[in-house]
Amino acid sequence: MSVIEVNDLSKVFQVPKKEPGLLGAAKGLFRPRYEDKKAVNQLNFQVEAGEIVGYIGVNGAGKSTTIKMLTGILMPSGGTVRVLGRDPHKQRVDNAREIGVVFGQRTQLWWDLALIESLNLIAKIYDVPPARYKAILEQFTETLELGDLLNVPVRNMSLGQKMRSELAAALVHQPKVVYLDEPTIGLDLIVKERIRDFIKTECGSKGMTVMLTTHDLGDIEELCQRVIIIDSGHVIYDGPIETIKKRFGKFREITFETVEKAKALELPEGAEILKAEDRKVQVRFDRTVSTASKVAGAVMNQIEVKDFSLSEPDLADIVKQIYNGALDMEAK
Amino acid sequence: MIQTLNRRASVYGALFAMIPKMFMAYQLWFWAGLVMNIISITILYFFWDAIYANSTAISGLTREQTINYILLAFFFMPLVGNDLLWEFGSNLREGLMIHHLLRPVNFQMMNYAQQLGGLVTRMVFQLPIMLLAVFLFDLKFPSDLNTWLAFLISALLGFTVMFFFSWVLACMAFYTTEIWGLGVLIEGITIFFSGSLVPLAMMPEWLRALVLSVPFAQALAVPVGLLSGITPLSDAPRIWLIQIVWIIGMWILSNLVFHFAVRKITVQGG
Amino acid sequence: MTRYIDLYWLFLIQRLKTLMEYRVSFILGAASTISLQAASIAAVWVVMQKVPSLNGWSYNEVLMVYGFVTLTKSINHMFADNLWTLGRVYIRTGGFDRFLVRPIDPLFHLLADRFCQDGVGNFIVGLALVIKTSVDLGVEWTLLKVLMFVVAVISGGFIFIALNLITAVSAFWVVDSVPVTRLVFDNHLFAQYPLTIYPRAISILLTWIIPYGFASFYPASYLLGREIGNVAWGAPFIAAFLMFIGYRFWQFGLRYYSGTGS
Repeated sequence: MSVIEVNDLSKVFQVPKKEPGLLGAAKGLFRPRYEDKKAVNQLNFQVEAGEIVGYIGVNGAGKSTTIKMLTGILMPSGGTVRVLGRDPHKQRVDNAREIGVVFGQRTQLWWDLALIESLNLIAKIYDVPPARYKAILEQFTETLELGDLLNVPVRNMSLGQKMRSELAAALVHQPKVVYLDEPTIGLDLIVKERIRDFIKTECGSKGMTVMLTTHDLGDIEELCQRVIIIDSGHVIYDGPIETIKKRFGKFREITFETVEKAKALELPEGAEILKAEDRKVQVRFDRTVSTASKVAGAVMNQIEVKDFSLSEPDLADIVKQIYNGALDMEAK
Repeated sequence: MIQTLNRRASVYGALFAMIPKMFMAYQLWFWAGLVMNIISITILYFFWDAIYANSTAISGLTREQTINYILLAFFFMPLVGNDLLWEFGSNLREGLMIHHLLRPVNFQMMNYAQQLGGLVTRMVFQLPIMLLAVFLFDLKFPSDLNTWLAFLISALLGFTVMFFFSWVLACMAFYTTEIWGLGVLIEGITIFFSGSLVPLAMMPEWLRALVLSVPFAQALAVPVGLLSGITPLSDAPRIWLIQIVWIIGMWILSNLVFHFAVRKITVQGG
Repeated sequence: MTRYIDLYWLFLIQRLKTLMEYRVSFILGAASTISLQAASIAAVWVVMQKVPSLNGWSYNEVLMVYGFVTLTKSINHMFADNLWTLGRVYIRTGGFDRFLVRPIDPLFHLLADRFCQDGVGNFIVGLALVIKTSVDLGVEWTLLKVLMFVVAVISGGFIFIALNLITAVSAFWVVDSVPVTRLVFDNHLFAQYPLTIYPRAISILLTWIIPYGFASFYPASYLLGREIGNVAWGAPFIAAFLMFIGYRFWQFGLRYYSGTGS
């Protein structure tokens, strides 16, 4: 039996139809009209014990709705969801005991309490036996470097410190399933690395099943072996991360700001023009075939360049391309 | 001031037009506010009605006079408003105080205009409950123009006294962040000392003297006394004079206290 | 069950520790609520110097009624204050989801998260008033009357909490439930005075519909040996009934919340 089983899961919201203007607002007040919004539509996937799965999609794709159903906050409109064999909504308390959740933007710690006191309270809420709590606390103090933080209230912490505390709080009761929502958002690279390391070792060594929602591809690359991509409420890709890396990880994009208007350009092999408008040219090239200097050089020989920047393709692009069939959909 | 009113009116208008849910919430607040006021005056009416069950006059005041006074005092409570404490508090909290002080506009006068505008708005919102009281509780307004004039002058003067006094109280915002607690504390004191709960005539000598030695009553009990007819019109000029003296005194005090309070943040840093 | 008691105790200690940090706020909070009481009481004192009877109730008797309502309302103030914030602080920001993800009852969590120290001021004032007036009036504290006192205070407290809860649940629909709560809560002001001064309609309202009367008027009547006071023994049943309705309504609201999200 899989740890997480999602079968034909659907969630439909009734959203009031908003019409523009004063008349529309007045109508909306007196006779609101509702329309169905399918946030999640016939979702299917399974997660086995110990997997660390990346759950990605653009904003509004249905990620947080899915997570809310997995954690028991929302009731599904259709289909079934089982976590550790339980219906998370109907058996809310039992399910809650075995899960840990990090909501990236919202802390679960008490604002004014010293970290240690928040942790004490949480340990009591989850009924962690005192001996085990003590051991885990010691362990986390070391691995998350909480030593100095234990007596600091959350309101006085930096973002990085907050996130480390947040992870400690979410894992103090050693849950079997962990949901991480944007755990590295807003953090600088060094702190991100530490957080990712911690997640990898802690969750990996304890065999925790992790679902990670993030917009940061670095998180995905480092932590996940498998990625589920969701768009408009259903799965458009579910498979190993290697495939995505192979297909997209090798690409780089250079955006040139030109002095003259864009014109037809000859590019070295492995490079193609993505977009050319007015005084901006976007070129994508395959790293394994060509190099940045070759491509930039070629362009600058043909047209006067004011400025340029080098970037990785972003998630939105990847999702769009996948949606348009750029990748074979591999069911697991 | 008209500008402020217009601005307020158009802001409310825009809100109404564009956000149905917020409008609904506003509606809820409107009805809640109305019900709260109805409850308050109902309690006041029946309390005083029971008090007068066996007497025709208390301290020289008849049942009609007293009930009228109490109801009028309830409606004109906005005259003893205390918004300044919240204003100062939020300005200081958001670091805006310095900006206001650097502007070439007189900060105090600007606030006075704002508060006056606020007063007029509040009085407009008091109208529904006023009408209800007229129908349900037989509230009577004087028909004599002179009385009205005397009242309006006294009300404006009294409001000004209270404005400068509030200014002094509001300066406490410079010294503590506990605005809420302070505000409620002041509210309690204001309710009693403004003379809204008990007509001055009914107070024992010593209490009346105490009440008249602090500014609150100047803004409510004094003008409402004129309006309700309890205080004869012949007293009006004397009353106005006293209020003017209060204004001068409070004006001086407010500027003095403000000066020292501002020094605190400019020297120590907000 | 004991787990919940332990848990509540821990929540309480943490909250008090936090409050202790804000000592000035602590004192001001208590002082401010007392100032409002003082204003009303002072007014009643002044008036009743001139007129010794309010509808057959003496100054001390009136004060006892007032003390009872202050005492019972303080229980709600101390333990259920967080209900007011349900919409603005928890639902609007999504913070309420945190409660749903933890293995404890979300209503318990909501209430335990905030013990309001301001209520302590009211509690002390109310208690002092009832005791002092009973002494001044020569009330004989028989066993039955002591029992009534305890029962009335606890029931009255729960009546306040139940009505607070019922109105607070509206937050699941309208988010800002505060005006709804105030619509009901403000009616307790009627109960500050003996219900006999009002026309029948109002005393019916405060006995059968929004039964704040059971939190003040009826128990006071009982202590003072007035016949109508016997009605006060109905308080625990009314309190239990209202709490039952309140909890069911809460569950209804929760179901709505998890059906429609926010």
